[in-house]
Amino acid sequence: MDLSQPVEENYANPKTCFFHVLFKASALAFYILSTLFANSFVIIFVITVVLAALDFWVVKNVSGRILVGLRWWNEINEQGESIWRFECLDQESLARINQKDSMLFWWTLYLNAVAWGIFGIFSMVRLEVDYLLVVAVCFSLAIANIIGFTKCRKDARNKIQAFASRTIASRFSSTLQSAFSLV
Amino acid sequence: MSNSHSDTIPLHPSSQSDIDEIENLINASVQSGPATVLPARPPSPPRASIPVSSNPFIQSQIPPPPPQSSSSNQKVPSVAAAPPPPSVGNSSRIAATGFGPAPNTLTEPVWDTVKRDLSRIVSNLNLVVFPNPYREDPGKALRDWDLWGPFFFIVFLGLTLSWSASVKKSEVFAVAFALLAAGAVILTLNVLLLGGHIIFFQSLSLLGYCLFPLDIGALICMLKDNVIVKIVVVSVTLAWSSWAAYPFMSSAVNPRRKALALYPVFLMYVSVGFLIIAIN
Repeated sequence: MDLSQPVEENYANPKTCFFHVLFKASALAFYILSTLFANSFVIIFVITVVLAALDFWVVKNVSGRILVGLRWWNEINEQGESIWRFECLDQESLARINQKDSMLFWWTLYLNAVAWGIFGIFSMVRLEVDYLLVVAVCFSLAIANIIGFTKCRKDARNKIQAFASRTIASRFSSTLQSAFSLV
Repeated sequence: MSNSHSDTIPLHPSSQSDIDEIENLINASVQSGPATVLPARPPSPPRASIPVSSNPFIQSQIPPPPPQSSSSNQKVPSVAAAPPPPSVGNSSRIAATGFGPAPNTLTEPVWDTVKRDLSRIVSNLNLVVFPNPYREDPGKALRDWDLWGPFFFIVFLGLTLSWSASVKKSEVFAVAFALLAAGAVILTLNVLLLGGHIIFFQSLSLLGYCLFPLDIGALICMLKDNVIVKIVVVSVTLAWSSWAAYPFMSSAVNPRRKALALYPVFLMYVSVGFLIIAIN
């Protein structure tokens, strides 16, 4: 166990990592190289936005689950109020999550949002409102995922701490009881 | 029994292991990331007394399946094995009535997720656009909102309009998309500012789904280029869209302000209708 720690572990879910990066990279690449592919703005818009939407779906439903064990969604309850729900794997499975997977997940999420932000600044400077629309849509999708998963991760940490402290309290009281039973 | 001897008294065997577990848990809660936690023994199953607002910890009995796995029956045993404890408030009732996702969605195969999302789009469409028993109670109908349907309908409408246009295709598409997207947001803000009770995303979802009749209208107008036909088709689909949007919008606001909430919706659909007719 100690000998294998310094060795670099490989990605545990290479296919999922690949898809996680694929749609983001192809949306960005298509946007950058758009003039090579198509003359019409409509095609650029539709394909970029569709790729960004697919990426949003993949991250939210597939790679979030598999790479970091988190999931978030919104529900509306009987009273008509909207509740944000966060789901995470239990502590043991969370400990088993591959570090590389998790780093890839979070870093690509942030870099994607930063890249779209930079493109947004470019199109604002050049006063290209059409392209600003594309960038706005892709940027908002990226931000939505970042916010959702960050909240989910915080919620997971709070749950683990609450669980641990509650378990400590109950174990402590049972230890006290067994200690007092000796005397 | 002086205090100085307390260290040398041999502990009860179970107390020693309990103390080990306490130390591990203290270390676990002090460390920052969940990835550094090393449980000394398998954690105890979630207790019914934990008052969490979301689903309790999900025991993943199997390692997460690869995306290509197609066995859907692995969802069934894991749902049966991890029933939500009855003392947790709304979440278990919602999961049991099928409004929210099943308790163990973290380990379900990808194909199940796709199927669930697609069926949700279809059911939302049926609820909003077609006559059904839930229309009297609009708050219940679009409970399971999603934005994929509206996204698809807006893009489809933009594409259809752009295809019908002989000149300035890009501008037509951009205008249609921006008009519909910004219009939906502004209409929702309008209802909220009138003091209505509506959930932002639910309303966006509703207004997007109500575009479905106009999508059909735009498609027909693209195929048949006769002005009379266009006017008739657009009027019919416009009326259909407004009829679909009416119960949700009107029930969200004070009855005296119903017209104030409904008029902008009607106006937006009329302007989209004009766009469809005017494109040639």
